[in-house]
Amino acid sequence: MPGVWVLAENRSQTLELLTIGRFMAGKIGTSLSVFLCQDRESAGDYMACGADEVLLLPEIAKDQSLDAYIPILSEEAGKADPDLFLIASTFRLKEIAARVATRLNTGLCSDCIKIYFNDRSGAVEMERLMYGGAAVQRVVCQSRPIMVTVPPRTFEPAGTESGRKGQIRSLKESPRSAGRVLERKRRERESKDIREAKVVVCVGRGVEKKEDIALARELAEVLRGEIAGTRPVTEELHWLPEELCIGLSGIQIKPELYVGIGVSGQIQHVTGFRDAKVICAVNKDANAPIFGVADMGIVGDLYDVVPKLINELKK
Amino acid sequence: MPDIVVCFKWVVDEAYIRRTSSGDLDFTSVDYKISEYDRNAIEAAVRLRDAYGGSVTAMTVSVPEATKGIKDALSRGPDNAVFIADPSFRDLESSQTAAILGGVIKSRMSCQLVICGEGSGDFYAQQVGPRLAEILGIPCATYVQKITIDGGQVIAERKAEDFVEVVAMPMPALVTVLPDIGTPRIPGVKDTLMASKKPVVTLGKGDLERIPEASLKTVGMKASRMERECEKFTVDTADIARFVGALQRKGVLR
Ligand SMILES: Cc1cc2nc3c(=O)[nH]c(=O)nc-3n(C[C@H](O)[C@H](O)[C@H](O)COP(=O)(O)OP(=O)(O)OC[C@H]3O[C@@H](n4cnc5c(N)ncnc54)[C@H](O)[C@@H]3O)c2cc1C
Repeated sequence: MPGVWVLAENRSQTLELLTIGRFMAGKIGTSLSVFLCQDRESAGDYMACGADEVLLLPEIAKDQSLDAYIPILSEEAGKADPDLFLIASTFRLKEIAARVATRLNTGLCSDCIKIYFNDRSGAVEMERLMYGGAAVQRVVCQSRPIMVTVPPRTFEPAGTESGRKGQIRSLKESPRSAGRVLERKRRERESKDIREAKVVVCVGRGVEKKEDIALARELAEVLRGEIAGTRPVTEELHWLPEELCIGLSGIQIKPELYVGIGVSGQIQHVTGFRDAKVICAVNKDANAPIFGVADMGIVGDLYDVVPKLINELKK
Repeated sequence: MPDIVVCFKWVVDEAYIRRTSSGDLDFTSVDYKISEYDRNAIEAAVRLRDAYGGSVTAMTVSVPEATKGIKDALSRGPDNAVFIADPSFRDLESSQTAAILGGVIKSRMSCQLVICGEGSGDFYAQQVGPRLAEILGIPCATYVQKITIDGGQVIAERKAEDFVEVVAMPMPALVTVLPDIGTPRIPGVKDTLMASKKPVVTLGKGDLERIPEASLKTVGMKASRMERECEKFTVDTADIARFVGALQRKGVLR
């Protein structure tokens, strides 16, 4: 049975994909199926949110990773020939998506930010960022199924509709995968979600050492904002928590004010705050690309500028 | 003593892409480079070889001009390279790149570990690594931050949203790595000289099996817009005061 399929790692991602899944299933004129691996109680909710069918994935052993699902997912897709397969763009599901697409000999649109149904051609059109965010590419997929990964938070979660019914189907066990999980080390979220912050002070590699982040923190305080970082400062040097990484591979924010301190302004980073209301930067290199994308830039050494700025703001 | 293949992509340096007034991309003054995070992948491969022995082969599928990339890659420590080149290989889709790499690895090489970067600087589809693993029929871990080798297994620490998953995979296996796997070295003059003496196997389209058709078709491409005031200030106290005044007028101070 063809259809639109949804696969995610958790409930909130699933609900977001159900929103777009329900829309696309309506346009294509087909049914909507959702995979469920944990919290089986959600099956009813997912049906209320638009799923016609809930496909129960078997529990996998603790020492197995999600790749254990590749054989069942590919086999089911081979049998059912779905039209569209929507997958949450999480670290592990991005891999699963690419491997299932390979088995099915089909294309995969990674990190899709918008999906359209072209009423004239009947094609599903997908948009994604290219060249670090310097461009937006629109693609169609010429093979079946159309596979897409969608970053969490791209769509609003689906709402419930009363009186909706659906079917539940259990899928069979999968063979074990060759890899064995030895351990899962929890990463505690150390900071709050800065996507809500009105003002964000972003620390770049221009800051010489970890201790000096205190300076940016002080500036954030007088501006009543939050602190964030570029990818080198967060994910590579680990001077700030990873969830504070702004950009293409981190989070995208839309604050009233963004202030980059020692940030060069490479496109992958800028992609993360393109829609901020006001963009400011402090950089000692007058030719740094950040000045080309900022409303106001101060050319100077951050160790000189930031204390002066804090003083002036306190007045 | 694993023999390692490390794959890299020769990409346009996105810093040189301009936007025309009609919103198209302007590639007239672009330069090319080894994709940023593939340099970390090369570094990871070379460090593993230095720790465990074996060899490192750098590999790319690209246009003939990417021969510069082969030299650059070899100056970063690999022992040899395989260069698969054809003028038609400019905008291959991930599935095609993976099919070509997979075909060559299967038919001509023996390796215990394949390393790819997390994703390329141009498309960032993050697919070649996992697709290649599937084609080779070997286990795979993506977004890996740490690799150790223990007998016949690779132990990889892979990043997930709320945890790090430590997986043991029998070799041969494939990993895609995050940049914190190792900061790339900056090749010196000696490294560059040595690179030109290292063996390179160059293959063309005629040496390959049939290349699959692309599945995705681009129907539109628009440069992102970024129009800002671009006003510059100096470090003078007076200028700083003017800057704060402007912030106030914009209504972003609270
Ligand atoms: C596929 C891909 C995805 C990526 N995703 C992201 C992402 O999500 N987020 C992200 O941030 N990056 C991302 N990057 C990396 C990005 O390309 C840049 O490398 C990164 O943003 C640079 O960070 P930075 O500005 O902190 O450091 P640098 O580029 O090193 O810049 C430091 C700046 O500080 C200035 N400086 C130095 N000292 C001082 C001083 N004393 N006072 C004032 N200024 C000073 C320098 O002039 C320089 O401009 C990605 C890259 C790729 C290839």
